Amino acid sequence: MNSTGLSRENDAETPSSGGHRTVAASLSVSGLSVHYRDFTAVGGIDLEIPEGEITALVGPSGCGKSSFLHSLNRLTDLIPGCRVAGSIRLSDGTEVTHPKTDVLSLRRRVGIVFQRPNPFPQSIRRNFEIPLKEHGWRKRDIPDRMETVLREVGLWNEISDRLHKSAIALSGGQQQRLCIARALALEPEVILFDEPCSALDPIASGVVEDLIHSLRGRLTVVIVTHNLAQARRIADRAAVFWVRDGIGTIVEHGPAERVFTAPSNPDAASYLSGARG
Amino acid sequence: MLGLLALVAGGMVLLIVWYLFSNALPVIEAGRLAAFFTDSLWQPRSQRDPQFGVVSMLVASFLVTLLAVALALPVGLAGAVFHRFYAPPVLERWNRRMLELLIGVPSVVFGFWGLMVIVPLIVRLAPHTSGQSLLAASIVLGLMILPIIALTSQAALQAVPPAQLQAAAGLGMGRARTIWSVALPAAKGGIGAGVLLALARAIGETMAVVLVCGNIPQIPKSLFDGIRPVTSTIALEMGYATASHKALLFCAALILVLFTALLVGWLSFRKVESDPGTGGA
Amino acid sequence: MTPPTPRARPVAPVWLDRALAFAGATAALLSFGLFAWLVWDLARLGLPRISWTFLTGEIEDAGRSGGIGPLLVSTLLILVCCLALVIPLGTGCALWLSEFVRRGSLAARLVTGGVDLLASVPSIVFGLFGMVFFGQTLKMGFSILSGGLTLACMILPILVRTTLSALEALPADLRPASAGLGLTRTTSIVKLLLPAALPGIVVGITLGIGRALSETAALIFTSGYSIRWPSSFWDSGRALSVHIYDLTLNVPQSGAMASSTALVLLALILVVNSAAVALSEHWLRRRHQTS
Repeated sequence: MNSTGLSRENDAETPSSGGHRTVAASLSVSGLSVHYRDFTAVGGIDLEIPEGEITALVGPSGCGKSSFLHSLNRLTDLIPGCRVAGSIRLSDGTEVTHPKTDVLSLRRRVGIVFQRPNPFPQSIRRNFEIPLKEHGWRKRDIPDRMETVLREVGLWNEISDRLHKSAIALSGGQQQRLCIARALALEPEVILFDEPCSALDPIASGVVEDLIHSLRGRLTVVIVTHNLAQARRIADRAAVFWVRDGIGTIVEHGPAERVFTAPSNPDAASYLSGARG
Repeated sequence: MLGLLALVAGGMVLLIVWYLFSNALPVIEAGRLAAFFTDSLWQPRSQRDPQFGVVSMLVASFLVTLLAVALALPVGLAGAVFHRFYAPPVLERWNRRMLELLIGVPSVVFGFWGLMVIVPLIVRLAPHTSGQSLLAASIVLGLMILPIIALTSQAALQAVPPAQLQAAAGLGMGRARTIWSVALPAAKGGIGAGVLLALARAIGETMAVVLVCGNIPQIPKSLFDGIRPVTSTIALEMGYATASHKALLFCAALILVLFTALLVGWLSFRKVESDPGTGGA
Repeated sequence: MTPPTPRARPVAPVWLDRALAFAGATAALLSFGLFAWLVWDLARLGLPRISWTFLTGEIEDAGRSGGIGPLLVSTLLILVCCLALVIPLGTGCALWLSEFVRRGSLAARLVTGGVDLLASVPSIVFGLFGMVFFGQTLKMGFSILSGGLTLACMILPILVRTTLSALEALPADLRPASAGLGLTRTTSIVKLLLPAALPGIVVGITLGIGRALSETAALIFTSGYSIRWPSSFWDSGRALSVHIYDLTLNVPQSGAMASSTALVLLALILVVNSAAVALSEHWLRRRHQTS
C-alpha cells in the first residue's frame, strides 16, 4: 500500500499534469478518534464523504464536529497534546493520519475556511501571493490565478481596484469570500468549512452560502454548521454528531433528505426536530 | 492632597527641563549656541581659543547607538524567532526569565567587563590602537540593549493572533514561510517599538560607554577610532566644569533630553495610532 | 471549471526553514554564551576575594584592597531616602489617576504623559538635575539624601505604572460595593483599595529597588565618592555601582576588586529582581485561584 502517496517526489514527477487538480477527491474515514491528552473528544467515527458532494456535519455545541473537521487536514497537529487515531483515506490512497504524509501538500489538497474570516492583515494581493508562492506557483502566473478565483467568489468587480489595499479594510462578508478565494486559489480537491457563516450578518451569510452551494460538483465540500436550515438547503449528505458516554460520535448519517426527514436515531430525531440540543 | 502628589509626579519632567534650561541659559544668552554647531573643536577651557563644537559628540552618540542597535537587533530577533517557533516551551520560559534578569544588570558592570574583555580583544584585532573605540562601545552597548530587544520581540511574536497562524497552517504553509510572511509582518509594530525603546535607552546610556569609548572628541573615521558621546562628556567633565563650560554641558544635556523625549513621544504616538480603542493615555 | 494554471514543482522552502532554525539557534546560543561569559569572568576574578571581612571591611589603598563595608551602608541609606520619597509620591499619584480623575481626561493624560516622558530621561541627566536642584537649590550638597532623592525621581515612573496597573486590575465592583456600604472615599481607599492593590505596589517597589541599585550615572554628581562610613543622611557616601565606575576609571590594577564588588552588586540585584518575579507570579496565581 502506498501510504505516502503524497510525497514531494510524486508531485515533482507530475509538475503540471493537472490530473488531481480538476478531480474532486473522496474521503473515507474509519475508526477515527481524536484525543486531547487523557480526554477523548471524538471516537468511533466511520464516514464516507463522496466526491463532488456537500456533506454537512450538524449537532449541538461541544460534540466534536470541529475537532473531527480539523483532523481531516491535520490541523489538529497544531494543538499541543492532541492525538488522532484511526484512518482517513483520500481517493488516491493517501493516508491522512500517517505520520510520513507531507502535511503541507495535504493541506493544499484539503483546504479549510474558518468561522471567523482570517485574511492576513496585509494587502489583498499579498494574501494570494504568500500561499501561492509557497506551493510553487510562478510569480507571473499569480495575478491570473488571483483574478480567476476572485471572479469565482464574486469579489473581482468589488475589489479589483484596490488589490494593493489592506484586506482587513473589507467588510466581514467580503473578508470571508476572500478567504474562500484564497483557499480555492490553491486548487484543492476537498474544502472544509468550519461554520463559515456564523460570524456574518444575514445578507453576507446568504451570499457565502450560495457561493458554497456553487462549489457542488467541482469540489468535495465538508461543512460544519449550527444552522439546520442552511444544512437542509445546501447539503447532499448529512451526519449528526451527538455526545454519547462523554465522547462525541456520529449517531446518524446518510443522504440529507433521509436524515432530515426520517432520522432513525432518537437523539438525532429530537435534535433535528428542535426538541433537544 | 493626592492631586498635589500627582502634580509633582507629572510636573517633575518639567522641573528637570526647567533646571537644565536655566543652567544652560548663560550660553544661550551669550549667543554662543551657534558656536555649538559651527565650531569644529571641543576645548571649552582653553584661554586663548575656546571652542564649543559639540557636533563630533552628537555624531558619536548617533553612531554608537545605531551600531549597537544594528548589532543587537539581528541577534535579539533571530533568538526570539527561535524561542517562539523552534524551541520547546520550557526553553522559551527559561530564556525569558534569564532575559528579565539580564535587563537588571547594571550598565557599569557591562562597561567594566567591556574594558576587561572586549577592549583587549579589539587590540588583538587592531594592534596599533588602544582598543577603546567606536567598535568597543557599540559592542558593549549592543550587549546591554540585547535583552530589551529580545524580550520585546518575543512579546511581539507571542502577540501574533493565533488565527493568523491557523490561517497559514490551513493554507499548507510551512514554518519558514509562516514566520517570514505572516508572523514577522504581524509583529512588525511591536518589534519596532522595542527598537525605539532600545534606541532611547542607548542614546542616553553613560556607564556602558564611557569606560570603553576612548574619550576622544572627534568624528571617527574608522571603527577603531576613539569617540566621545554626549553622555560621556557630561560624566567626565561636570566634576570640574565651571561657568560657561558648565552651562555648555547643561546645554548638551538639554539636547539629549529633547532627543529621547522625541523618540518616546513618537513611540506613544504610534501606540495610540495602532490601537485607537484604548483612547489616548 | 477554471483552466488549469501552470504550476512549477512545489518549492517547499526547506532550506529557508533550516536557515532560520540555524540562525535562530546561533543567535540564542550567542546571547546566552555572551552573558554566561560575563558572569563567568566576574565570578572567576571576584569570587575568591569575597568573605565576611570583604563585606564589612573598610576600603584600603584607594580600593585595591580592603572591603566594601562603608559602601554597603551608603547604598542602603541611599535606598532608604529614595523609598521614603518615591513610595508616597508614586502611590499617591497612581491613586489620584485611578480614583479621582476620569481615565482619558485632560488632567490624567497630562500627568501620565509627564510620567512617561520622565521615564525617557537619561540617567546622567537626572544626575545633573539632582546636583543643581537637591544639591544647590535645596542646599543638600553631595549627600546620601541628595542621591537618594535623585534616584526617587528616576524610579518614580516604574512605581506609578505598576501601582496604576495594580489598581486598574482590581475587580470593578469593589468601588460601588464600598460606596454601597456608606464608606467614605478615604476609608474605602485606605481599608479596601490599597490593601487589595498592595501586591502590585510591592512588586513595583521591588523593581524600583533593582533599578536604583544598578544606577551609577545619577549618583556620581549627587551622593558623591566619599568612602568613609556615613554617619548621617547629610554625609556624602559612595554607592556600590559608583565604586565599580571609580575603580575602573581611576584606579589601575583594581580589576579584581571591581569584579568582587560587581559580583556583590549583581547578587543583590538578582535577589531583588527574582523576588519581584516570584512575588508577582505568586500573587497572579492566587488571584486566579480565588476568582
